[in-house]
Order: sequence, then structure tokens, then C-alpha cells
Amino acid sequence: MRNQETSAQAPGDLKLIEDYALLPGVPDEMIDADGNLRPGWAALMTAFDTLGPEELAARFERADQYLRDAGVFYRKYDGAEGKERAWPLAHIPLLLDESEWLTITEGLKQRAELLERILADIYGANELVARGLLPPDLIARNPEFMRPLVGIKPASGHYLHFCAFELGRGPDGAWWVLGDRTQTPSGAGFALENRVATTRALSDIYAGMNIHRLAGFFRDFRDALLAQGKRLEGRVGILTPGQHNETYFEHAYIARYLGFMLLEGEDLVVENGQVMVRTVAGLKPITVLWRRMDASFIDPLELRYDSRIGTPGMVEALRNGSISMINAVGSGILETRALSAFMPRLASAILGQDLLLPEIATWWCGQDAERQHVLDNFDAMMIGPAFSTSLPFDDLRGTALGAGIPEHQKRTLKERLAASGAHYVGQEPVQLSTAPVYVEGKLVPRPITLRVYAARGEHGWTIMPGGFARVGSSLDTTAIAMQRGGQAADVWVISSSPVEQISLLPREGEKLMRNPAGSLPSRAADNLIWLGRYAERCEAMVRILRAYNARLAELSNPDIPLLKHTRAYLEAIDIDAAEALPRGLLQAIDSAVLSAGQIRDRFSPDGWLALNDLQKTAQRFGTRVQPGDDATRAMTVLLRKLAGFSGLVHENMYRFAGWRFLELGRRLERGIQIARVSGWFTGKNAPDGAVEMLLEIGDSVMSHRRRYSVSAGTQSTLDLLVLDPLNPRSVIFQLAELRVQLETLPGGIDDGQLSPAAKLALQLHTDLVIAEPSSMSQDALEKLAGNIGMLSNLIATAYFT
Amino acid sequence: MLYDVRLELHYDYDAPVQGGRHLVRVTPASISGIQRVIAASLRYDPKPLAETQFVDFFGNHVTAIVFRDAHDALDIRLSARVFVEDIHPPADLSPTLDRLEQDMGRIWSLAPDSPHHFLAPSPRVDIDPVMTEYARQSVVRTMSVQAAVTDFCMTINRDFVYESGATDVATTPAEAFALRKGVCQDFAHVMIAGLRGVGIPAGYVSGFLRTNPPQGKPRLEGADAMHAWVRAWCGLDVGWIEFDPTNAMLAGPDHITIGHGRDYADISPIVGVLKTSGSHEAKQAVDVVRVE
Repeated sequence: MRNQETSAQAPGDLKLIEDYALLPGVPDEMIDADGNLRPGWAALMTAFDTLGPEELAARFERADQYLRDAGVFYRKYDGAEGKERAWPLAHIPLLLDESEWLTITEGLKQRAELLERILADIYGANELVARGLLPPDLIARNPEFMRPLVGIKPASGHYLHFCAFELGRGPDGAWWVLGDRTQTPSGAGFALENRVATTRALSDIYAGMNIHRLAGFFRDFRDALLAQGKRLEGRVGILTPGQHNETYFEHAYIARYLGFMLLEGEDLVVENGQVMVRTVAGLKPITVLWRRMDASFIDPLELRYDSRIGTPGMVEALRNGSISMINAVGSGILETRALSAFMPRLASAILGQDLLLPEIATWWCGQDAERQHVLDNFDAMMIGPAFSTSLPFDDLRGTALGAGIPEHQKRTLKERLAASGAHYVGQEPVQLSTAPVYVEGKLVPRPITLRVYAARGEHGWTIMPGGFARVGSSLDTTAIAMQRGGQAADVWVISSSPVEQISLLPREGEKLMRNPAGSLPSRAADNLIWLGRYAERCEAMVRILRAYNARLAELSNPDIPLLKHTRAYLEAIDIDAAEALPRGLLQAIDSAVLSAGQIRDRFSPDGWLALNDLQKTAQRFGTRVQPGDDATRAMTVLLRKLAGFSGLVHENMYRFAGWRFLELGRRLERGIQIARVSGWFTGKNAPDGAVEMLLEIGDSVMSHRRRYSVSAGTQSTLDLLVLDPLNPRSVIFQLAELRVQLETLPGGIDDGQLSPAAKLALQLHTDLVIAEPSSMSQDALEKLAGNIGMLSNLIATAYFT
Repeated sequence: MLYDVRLELHYDYDAPVQGGRHLVRVTPASISGIQRVIAASLRYDPKPLAETQFVDFFGNHVTAIVFRDAHDALDIRLSARVFVEDIHPPADLSPTLDRLEQDMGRIWSLAPDSPHHFLAPSPRVDIDPVMTEYARQSVVRTMSVQAAVTDFCMTINRDFVYESGATDVATTPAEAFALRKGVCQDFAHVMIAGLRGVGIPAGYVSGFLRTNPPQGKPRLEGADAMHAWVRAWCGLDVGWIEFDPTNAMLAGPDHITIGHGRDYADISPIVGVLKTSGSHEAKQAVDVVRVE
């Protein structure tokens, strides 16, 4: 069959693979042992040949552009602080035939079930130890053995719900399990983005090839979690360690994709044994947490007492059976490397079956015979730490081939192994297959591993029909890890018949459900207010700086009174006008980015990119812009970018509570800024030209011309910038907006009573409605700014504590 | 022996605490063959919003208390009546250290008192080559595990000075060892580190000492505060034996047990997470009176 399929396209006919040189004795994913293209590859390579090298390069660039635009990144740790890195997409997908995929699927379902049973026994009856199938010290010595969880049955009835498996194809052509990820398996979101990026580039090819879709897998898992949440009468959230985690992007991405709340430990509080999320509408029960935080951190009281990211009382809630953890706290113990040594035996003892997918042969040196075997075959073994949970080929520092260890170190290691064997395992070295990657217009083979995901649905385990392949950066099989320059490729499972088209949108006939509003976590609301405030503060600074630099260019004498007066104002808000791009402004921009970074799941990737673009532009200007004309132009650019960000966010953000807090921040800050600057430029000491400058800062020159037939004077300017309800830049306009928003917020009006913040907003607004321009002295305006600041404190007290 | 135990823990906070959650482990547990708790009660001031009890992995009685309102001090009072068995020190039927490992290999259990839990480093006790070497001297001098542990207990007592204030609750065993000074917690941690280093399972015991000694006997060190000592596993035939390195003796009828753990972290009298900006000052008072 295969020969028939490929006879029309013998490998030699395809230009792209003319020079593709297989490694002797190493299986390849594109070309089989007989030298024929494996199923699907002929179509792909023919399509590539037809496109030609230039178009192909353009297509691949399109995929990269998509990932940049979508803001897909991961964090790389190469120093004290992790940096964000672009997601390293390997452009050529890995193709796998459906029949081969079925073998993997069956094997992983069996394995997931086995792992569930082992975990249930470790934290339950402990029969595996009593029957001599698991050595007790393998568990008792294990840092991932969470004693406080012993005897606690999971609320859902199951310990494992979402697992990942790392697979490799061995020299015999069969797939092997290299490792199990059961603690907080990462990468499923990246698999999705890989798919989107790859299909952006290759949409025509993809459409013609019957590739299994990924969305159905996620839809089923989302539905299973929602059903669990409903049974336990609460909401579903994703628990993240926060934005400094290496896969935070993915946490935010999955939360947005599946419509779950993204929560940190401090968002949660345990009351009467029930986990609650602090929202702007008060405490709401959470009953399912998809945990992306390592188990020991989730509760500083009963687990790691030095954890600063956990929630005190979480273990009590688990004991209470009021929260379901995906996966159970303590499931990390299944990742222990030494456990591999016992899996074949456990499979036959628990399931009465052999493992369908073999794993790396492993010898735990805590046992006499095994230790001797490892010592006798030392040179041919990978020697590593028994309790490590990292994959053997990801662990360059801890794991090494016996033969590769220098002689003097070898002696020490052998001694240690003989004395405290329990700390070591010996494993047969991993051999991987190769797959093609595209390097400078050519295909070259690189070692790959496959990451596949399993999720527990309402009716048992399902395996994601795809996943991603990690591709090494050289022929060295130890360089697979993305942390060290590896790449990730999309995995296409090819069906022989057309596949179902699936998305996460409601299916036809499915009831449309609207999620209730009012579940905005307080921490997110706090960050949204500050994002709004900082963005507005930047705008105020930029406007003043632009007006200042324009006059500096015009008058070319920095000592004239108007410029001195402006500098004094800027100094008071920590801006040194002598700097063309003052540090104070850069810091305000950084603060906006920082606030936004904590709530990535709350607004669109476009907004995030716009803000990042603003930051980068400002930093670039900072090094080369000169005061005067140059700075005026730079400020105009920044102003445009700020407006772009504001527009993207305000025009596109759904009017849930989240938008309201962002809006509150913006209005508060604008009210304060305009009140202050109006006072300063109309006060007794204000020099000539101050009111004209004020109108420019307040972006109201045109409005003034239209509204008043006189040239700008103190009274008319104050009327326009403070008291005019139609001017969107006036203080009274901000207060009117604040009133509306505060009254609409949860608790804004309770039983006809206004909240303290809404009351103050009403009072401040009313005061201005009846005020005369002549009463707006500098002191009165300073006081007004202070009162708006108090409003901000009242909001914080009501919603963030 | 029948005892009335009274404990007062008092915390003064620099800044008012807005709320908090604590786990309290001070209530003695009934332990078959060692002691029987006849009555025990805990009282708090201010009164917590919620109070729940559970038994932890090692069998200790734990009370979780939650506060929501602001307070600037916390009082916890325990009163308990406990009957302590007068057990005689067992004859030394313990194996040599070489044979102890074989004995361990015959225990296929992860029950709370399984020795397997007590060999590896634990949150507060690391294995340290210096303390391991220190303990090895005791092994070399003796013929059995029990004799080695006894010798080590006496050695620590001889080499260390009991001095409250020399260390604090966060002092590591290595620091205490370098000082050769400390209180019961330090003595116990050093002994545990040394024993685990040479391969003898060892755990931490928290409890109380009788306040006034029987006539003609000296008052024990640490009787005016909560006390801590060590238990070591001495083979299949002997099991666990409790040693008090602070007083150079086996734990006996004057020792009232609160509970067990791998080290202080598993059985500290109170752990809490507070919402406060300041620090706090802690005081405790203990009174253990023999009633006939």
C-alpha cells in the first residue's frame, strides 16, 4: 500500500529532500526504513516544492509574524531574571498516520489509568507497599510525597484529570514513554498556538490533508471541568503562580480560551472550609482549580511554610472535599524518575496487563541487585538522581552517561552509589528518531520528542489528536529542551477520511449560555485601575512635555518665565524637563506595562502589543532625542501610540466590571491632573502665555475658539477646563463619568443607599455644577484634586481589601 | 502518674493584625502504652471566628483557628489531665547498625510510625557531614544501635550548654552545633541530624516536663516551657525509644507527650499566616503538676 501511495513521488523526485541525509541506524519520521516517504509527507513535500523556496520562506515568516502579533512567549531563565522569549516555532509540522496514532492513544489511556490507580493507592490504602510492589522508602524519602494529603479522597473521585507524556521513537521504530507529567503539565496552550501559527502559513495544504482538529479535545475538557464545578456548586478557575512563571503566557492564554478565571493565591481565601475568590462583588465560591502551581506552594500553613504565593487553608478545603484540584495535590510523585523502574511490574499487578507502550529501562539503586547491575554496566548507563522529576534529557547537570564521566569523578560517584544507592537511578540511554527541520532553505534531520496530552472527560480519558514535537537544535539528543535552543513543531495526525470541523463556539442546537457578570477578582480590578491611571498619567505628562518643548524650540531661551513656570510644575511630579525624554515618564510607562502584565487574560493581545510598542518606542527615543523640536515630534509620536492603546482597549473591551475599573482609573487620573494643572497655570504667579499653554495641554484650543468669542482669559479657560460638562477633558466631565460608573459597580447602590465612593462622587460633581469660574482659585483646585484622590482611596477600601 | 497540665501562649503584635489563620498543635494525644489523655481543652482570647480540629499525618491533634477582626494580642490556654505510664527502660535487644538496615528492609509500611519517614532530611533538619561524623563516634564506641543512641544522647548533653536566648526558633541544627549551645529544640535537632546521618531513623517529640521534681531530685531543664526530645528507632525487636538529650536521660514518667514529627516544623505549637505589617513578641508559661 505504502509503496503504491508513494510510487508517484519517489523521494528522489522532490527537490527539497534531495540532500536530506538520514543518520545510519536512526529512524526518521519522514522517510521509513525502506527509503520511502511515510504517509502524508509526499503531499506536504510536493506542496512545498510547488511553492518554491521564496514563497515557502514568506509563508514561514507569516507564522512567526502571527506568533509575534499574538504575543506568544515563554520565559527563559539564563540569569538572575527570566526574560520573555519569542516562541521558537519549527515551521515544518510533524506528520503521523492515524493508525500509528491509535497505538499511541491506546497506550496512553492505559498508562493514565495505571497512574491514577498508583496515586490512589499511595495516598490511600497503601497496598502496593504492603504487597512489596513499591519500596516504602521510595515514597517516604520523596519530596513530592505530600503527607498532609494522605487519606484525603479527591472531591471529584479522581486524582488525575490532565496529564502529559513525553514520547520518543526508539531504534526499533516503536514509540517509548520517556516521562510522565502529572504535577502541572504545561504546553497544551502552546500546542494550540503552534497549530494556529502553522495553519496560518500552510492553510491551503492543511485544508487538503484531513488533519485531526484540536478544539474538540479542549471543548470536552472544558465541559468536564464546568460539569465538575456545577456538581460542587461553584466556579472553575486556573491557579497560576503569577507572571514570573516560565509558562504564565500559557496560563493566561488557556484561561482566555476556555473562559475560566485566572487566579493567584492571594485572590483566594478559605472560609468555613470552602475556597472563595475575592471579587469586586464580594466572595464567590470556587470549586474547581486547574492548578498550574506546584503542590507544595499552595498552602503555607500545611505544606511549604515559606510559600508566599499560596492560600492559607487550602489543604483544609481539600480535607473538606469542597474543592477539586486538577490534578490532586501530591500527584507530582508520579514524575519521580525511579518510579519508572517499577511501572512494568505495577502494570501487571494492578491492570493484569503488559504496558502497551514501553518505557526507558530503569534500575533504582536503592535495591541491592539493581545497584549491582548499574555498577557492573556503569559506562553504558545514564546515571541520575532517583528523586528528580525532570526528564532525563532535560537534566544536563544532574544526569550523565557513565562512559562520559571523567575517571576521578567516576570513582567518587561509584562510591556514593554503593553507599547511598537510594539516591540514584541507572537508565538506558535515550535514542530518538529524527524529523526534518527547515534550515536556510534546506531540510536537515533533527532529533525529536513528542509531547501528548491526556484529559479526563465525562466518560474517561481522551488523548489530544496532536500535541507538539520538541525538536533539537543539533543532532545531539540532549539539546531538545527549548530552554537550550530547541524548537517546537506542530503535530498533524492524518486521517484517511475527512475530519469533523470543531471550534469552541456553541454547536448548532446547543443552548447559548451567558456567564454571569461580577466575578472580577479584586486583584485584577486593582491592576486595571492602576493601568488606567498610569496610561492617563503618561498622557498628561506627554502633553505638558510637548507644549514645553514646542515653546522651547520657538523661543530658544529656557529662562523665560513661562518655561520656568512649566519646569517647576513638572519638577513637582518628578519630571526633569531638561531631559528630552524624562526618566519619570519612562517609569510611568513601565508601571503601566507592569500593571497590564498582571492581567494579561483580561484584555486583547492587540492592547498588550500596543502598550509594549509604546514602551519600546519611548526607550528608543530616550537614547537619542534632543530637547526642543526633536522632543516635540517624539511626544507627538508617543501621544499617538497612547491614543492607539486607549482606543484599542476602550473600543474593544467588553463592558463587564473589568472595563469599569479601567475607566475609573482613567477618569480619576484625568480629573486629578486637569485640576492640578489648571490651578498652576491660572494661579496668581502664572506668567504671560500660561492660559494659552493650559488650553493646549488640556487639548481644548479649538473648543475654546468655538465656545467663546473672546481670546483666552483665565475665566473662560477655567470654565472650559473645569466646569464645562460637554468638554470630555474637563474635571466636571470626569466626575460625571465617575458617578455613573461607581453607581453601576456591584454595591454601588444597595437598598437605595449609595456606597461611600458613589456618595463622594455625587457631592464633588454637584459642587462643580453650581460653582462659578471665579471661585476656582489655585487653592480650590488643589483641594478638588485632593478630594478626587480620596475617592480613589474609598474605591480601594470597598473593592480591594 | 497523673498530671494536670496548663499552658499559656501569649502573643503581642506590634501592629494590629487584620485577620489570620493558625494551626495549633499543643493538645496531648493518647498514645497506647505511653499515656492516656483524660481531658483536654483549649481556650482563646479573642475568640476565633471559626475553630476546627483534625488529626494530622503523624497522629497529632491539630486545631485550626481563624480570625477576621482586628486584634493586637492573642492568648491560647491549654488545660489537660494526662495519665502517664511508668514504663521501665527496655533491655537492649537492638541490633548492630549493620543489621538495622536489614530490619528496615523488612518493614513494608508507610504507617505514621514507620521508620522510613525518619531517615531522610526533613524541613528543618539537613544531613550534615560534620554532625554525621560527630554521631559516628558514638557508633564506634558501642556494640548496638540502642547503646549508640544512648551514648550520643549523653555526648550531646556533655558537649552542649543549655542556654535560653543563645538561639531562636529559626536556628538551624548546624548553627546550634557550631555554637554548642541552645535549648531543647536545638539539642533535639542536632541529635536527629546526627542519628539520620549514620542511618538511624530519628524523630522529634514535643511535650511538657513535670514542673516540680520528686523530693530529693533536681528540677529538670526546660520544665518552665514547652519541651522537646528525640525518638530513635532501634530495630524490629525494640522499636522506638525516646531520649531526652537536654537532660541526659530516657524520656519517662516525667515526660508528657504532645505529639511527633520529623522535626520541629511538623509539630510546632503554632504556625500562622497573619495580615499585619509588624512583628510580634511571644511569651509562654507552663505548669505541670502531679495530682494523685
